[in-house]
Amino acid sequence: MSIAEVLEQYGDKYLAAILTTWQMTAIGFSVAFVLAILITILRVSPIKPLRLVGDLYVQIFRNIPGVSLLIICVYALPNLGLLLEYKTCVMVAVILLASAFGSENFMSGINTIGVGQIEAARSIGLNFGQIIRLVVVPQALRSAVLPMTNLLIATMLTTAIGSQVPLNPQELTGLVSYINTRSVAGILPFFISAFCYAGTAVVLGFIGNAIDKKVRILR
Amino acid sequence: MSAHVTSMRDALYEAPGPKTRRLTIILTSISLLLVAIGIGLVVWQFYQTGQLDAKYWEFFLKPSTWRFLGEGFLGTVKVALTSGAIALVLGVLLMLGRTSGIRPLEVVSRVIIDFFRGVPSLLLIYFFFLVIPQYGIKMSSFWMIALPVAFAASGVLAEVFRAGVNAVPKGQTEAALSIGLTKGKIMFKIILPQALRIVIPSLISQLVVVVKDTTVAYVVSYPDLLQNARVLITKYDALVSVYFVIAIIYILVNYAINELSISVSRRMGQPIISRTSENPL
Repeated sequence: MSIAEVLEQYGDKYLAAILTTWQMTAIGFSVAFVLAILITILRVSPIKPLRLVGDLYVQIFRNIPGVSLLIICVYALPNLGLLLEYKTCVMVAVILLASAFGSENFMSGINTIGVGQIEAARSIGLNFGQIIRLVVVPQALRSAVLPMTNLLIATMLTTAIGSQVPLNPQELTGLVSYINTRSVAGILPFFISAFCYAGTAVVLGFIGNAIDKKVRILR
Repeated sequence: MSAHVTSMRDALYEAPGPKTRRLTIILTSISLLLVAIGIGLVVWQFYQTGQLDAKYWEFFLKPSTWRFLGEGFLGTVKVALTSGAIALVLGVLLMLGRTSGIRPLEVVSRVIIDFFRGVPSLLLIYFFFLVIPQYGIKMSSFWMIALPVAFAASGVLAEVFRAGVNAVPKGQTEAALSIGLTKGKIMFKIILPQALRIVIPSLISQLVVVVKDTTVAYVVSYPDLLQNARVLITKYDALVSVYFVIAIIYILVNYAINELSISVSRRMGQPIISRTSENPL
């Protein structure tokens, strides 16, 4: 098939697919971002059981393979009395994975600040709230820009697990498998999807780098 | 959960006074209660839906079950190590290309690296599974999973290696140039050996990504851990228990790899380069 043929036959499907991938990425990342903040609060709280829950959450979801988690959401949860739509399953899996990595990013952002600064802040009389608000959060956010950009890209790549369940409309990876099981389309459908992914990743990376350059703290 | 995390965590708080201590104890008890209730609800849900019935769990006592899962695990290990080895070589080559100083080679390497980093490994697997056979190339299911996983990892590894190369002090290159070494000699005799050492902990932690990527092996029906688990499920009609056990095995394996990379990193005094590696799939 030539590129014109592929686009003529599947062009609207590709448009729907890239929009679906983008949408899943945007929603997944936003929810995961908020969840990551909550998990991180648990992990730095002075209450031991909450710390433990936060740590456990992160260890589970940063180590579980995405497909395995998706399969549990799709096939195991209904047996436990929780039936979710396919797309919801994919989003749940993506969000759980991404939030664990997001919390790791925040934690390492917090860790780069260094104990000395906290001690200095305390010695000039800042209270806990002020230390968090004026010292910790601004620095942690600024040093998290680059890791979070990578997480955004990784979130997009993770939405490819959507190809393992029937989605309508399909996302970019599922569409390649759909086209290739229907017709001998050769290498083109693959490259169109790959180009959409890699192109988005490059643009996101570029934006992330630009923001990072602006806000980075030179130490 | 590494040690430096805890120190920073604790540094945030002043030594508690009696009031705070009392408050902490109260909040700790409340949170413990909430956690217990949460766990209880999950167990109750398992119980209610009959998933705790003996028939779903007793076959885990049979040696044959674990032998079969063990075979699957061996399949996973084989693919992961093969992919890892290929990715190492490819990653070094791509890094050498990208830092070669020859403009066209640099551009090509960079495009390849960005491509493999920016494309989901599942898409690459579909490429080997669906597209390559259309061109009359026959491949075993082993390579249909090992090669795409290796390619996906090679892009990230190239960037890890590059970070390692950059971590070697510039003065060494200058010193080597001043005693008349060629660029190639400098790279292979001086920079690369040190860079490889620097990235060892990062390479170990990258193995997690490779192991995760191999779980899609069922797409090409390669008998890895997950694929064998699916066979078990049809055999014993026990979906929930098997999938949960398998998930726990994967979590433990990856956790062990992560801990290994952290301990190696601490022993060598080399940080884990992860800026390029947050790839949760």
